[in-house]
Amino acid sequence: MNAPHILVIDDEPQILRALRTILTEKGFQVSAANRGKEGLTLAAASAPDLIILDLGLPDMDGIEVCARLREWTQVPIIILSVRETEREKVAALDKGADDYLTKPFGIEELLARVRVALRHAKPGRDDQTSAVKAGKLVIDLAWHTVTRDGKPVKLTATEFNLLAYLVSNRGRILTHQSILTHVWSPADADHTEYLRVYIGQLRKKLEPNPDEPQHIITEPGIGYRFITEAQDDRAGPG
Amino acid sequence: MRGSAAYNRIVGYVLALGLTAVITAALFVIRDILDTTLIALLLLIPVGISTSTWGLGAGITAALSAFLEFNYLFIQPYHTFAVHRPGDLVILLVFLIVAVVISQLVGRAKAGVEAATARERETTQLYELSTGLAGLHDSGQITRILGEQLFMAFPCEHLEITLSDPDSVAARLPPGTPRPSRPPELVVPMPAVRGVIGEIQSWRTLPVMSSAEKRLVRTFASQGALALERAALAQAESRARLLEESDRFKSSLLSSVSHDLRTPLATIKAAASSLRSGEIGWESPARAELLAAIDDEADHLNMLVGNLLDMSRIESGALHPQRTWNVLAEIVQSVLARMRHLSEGHRLVIDIPEDLPLVPVDFVLMGQVFTNLLSNSLRFAPPDTPVRVRAKARDDATVLIEVSNQGPPVPTEHLQGIFDKFYRMTAADRVTGTGLGLSICKGVIEAHGGTIWAENRPDGFAFNFTLPLRMDGMPQPELPAAHEAP
Repeated sequence: MNAPHILVIDDEPQILRALRTILTEKGFQVSAANRGKEGLTLAAASAPDLIILDLGLPDMDGIEVCARLREWTQVPIIILSVRETEREKVAALDKGADDYLTKPFGIEELLARVRVALRHAKPGRDDQTSAVKAGKLVIDLAWHTVTRDGKPVKLTATEFNLLAYLVSNRGRILTHQSILTHVWSPADADHTEYLRVYIGQLRKKLEPNPDEPQHIITEPGIGYRFITEAQDDRAGPG
Repeated sequence: MRGSAAYNRIVGYVLALGLTAVITAALFVIRDILDTTLIALLLLIPVGISTSTWGLGAGITAALSAFLEFNYLFIQPYHTFAVHRPGDLVILLVFLIVAVVISQLVGRAKAGVEAATARERETTQLYELSTGLAGLHDSGQITRILGEQLFMAFPCEHLEITLSDPDSVAARLPPGTPRPSRPPELVVPMPAVRGVIGEIQSWRTLPVMSSAEKRLVRTFASQGALALERAALAQAESRARLLEESDRFKSSLLSSVSHDLRTPLATIKAAASSLRSGEIGWESPARAELLAAIDDEADHLNMLVGNLLDMSRIESGALHPQRTWNVLAEIVQSVLARMRHLSEGHRLVIDIPEDLPLVPVDFVLMGQVFTNLLSNSLRFAPPDTPVRVRAKARDDATVLIEVSNQGPPVPTEHLQGIFDKFYRMTAADRVTGTGLGLSICKGVIEAHGGTIWAENRPDGFAFNFTLPLRMDGMPQPELPAAHEAP
């Protein structure tokens, strides 16, 4: 199998150098662009398997780059940003980015996100079967059943819809707005309080320790992410 | 109010004449039993009454008419103005002189009383103006009060106060009325030390403005100008103080940056260069140690930079919490998930009741508060002692949160100061970091409408803070279908 091709769009040479070194070392094929326009051209020319995109580019807004890419490709996009820009992160995610990383980040974290994004992009991925395993949980999206340690867990209709949306996008970050729009309705997109309360109820019913959730992870100021297993999201291109 | 002074005066004359005539008629009826001199004396009564009631002019009118009537009716030969007896002539003359003198004296006294009353009213109005203006620092408020007081003291059709800097109409009375098309009858400049800063324009045709009224308006104008000038000076002073403070902030920032940011940098540099030198064995435990140090110090550095940015946002007033309804326990839990490696060696005890209402806070900023409070608590808590986070609703509008540890007490005189920027108890003290963490907590909590304080406890030390449970005065919204069936 060919090594996955990653395009990095970032204007800082140090970051480019580090990412190129590390990703090449991990067996990826890497190309780099330090301007938004150059990035768009490269993306069209080389059809990468994944794009790592910095939000603070000198010539174009990263959010716009994201929107332009989404006009013609579904290639996974991971956003790089600094801490103070929650709103921009959310905007980029709503514009179609798949995930984000806050600078400075650990390389393990980056590799985990890359792996999740690549797996999602593969057609006919592992949701062939409707049952998803996460630790001691088995969630069957087709049969609307959830078991924990083999015992059925009773969920309300809304709780199940919420869980189903999280699980079918497992590994990916989902913004508050997108969850509220999908699980409730577009009119409820600002009612984060619904989300907070229902997430709390789900954690109580599903998490081994609701105070230290293993599966339903809070992304502060952004949204939520469902992960099946902690070690599942590690390491190289596999 | 509308009748002119001339009209009033004519009425006074007529009434004075009438009164004199009535009294003369009464005396004429009983003239047989009265002596002429007594009649003359009694005729002074209408003179006195007229003067004191209708003024000097009416008094003189009364005196002259009484004189003529007295001569005509009571002095022989009757029904003529001729005088035969020299004694009668004396009586007549004395009467005239006395009548005129009386009316003048009474008139002057009355005018004096009126002037005194007017002065008193003026003084009261000025007093009310200066009390109204005292302590005001806002030019809008000053012109509003000035306009209102002026309009009360000096009634007119329309009144405008215009300021030259900025060039605008600052007050218009009565409110909502359009400016008359004709030029104002009275224009009074507002003089201040730095020149004329505005003017008062007044429209009033009747009654014609008296000089006393004009003087009053001028006094009001200069009082108003003084107040405006004082407000401008106070504003300039507070701007200067702000600049000075931000200057001080910047210089302490520089000294703090050079010290605090260099410490982790020094560690990173030392560790990285010794790893590169090749003197450390591939398998040696020192290698892992150095790598961990680089990783930890990079995180520390990142936190310091984040704190500096947060502080400058708080300082510049750019901190606008995005308040939404949140579960407090979830915020704490998301902070703990990120701090897990820091909290090794301590027990973290979280006690947040499940039925605590949602709190209207900015998730990310409140996370910063808990990160800073917990990292401070963890630093000073002795090993293997618990660090507690406890929350309870104090009433239905406030939640009280405490972060406590069993660390050493903080001297009482420092309890307040630890929330100040760059506050350090003593040089070699327990505090590391830029000394910004706690002042960021204070800034964030206060931006949420809460308060934060520190206290020593019998078993250690605690940070306490309150947060409102209401957003825009409203409690947590109803949740839809909270009890739907599974």
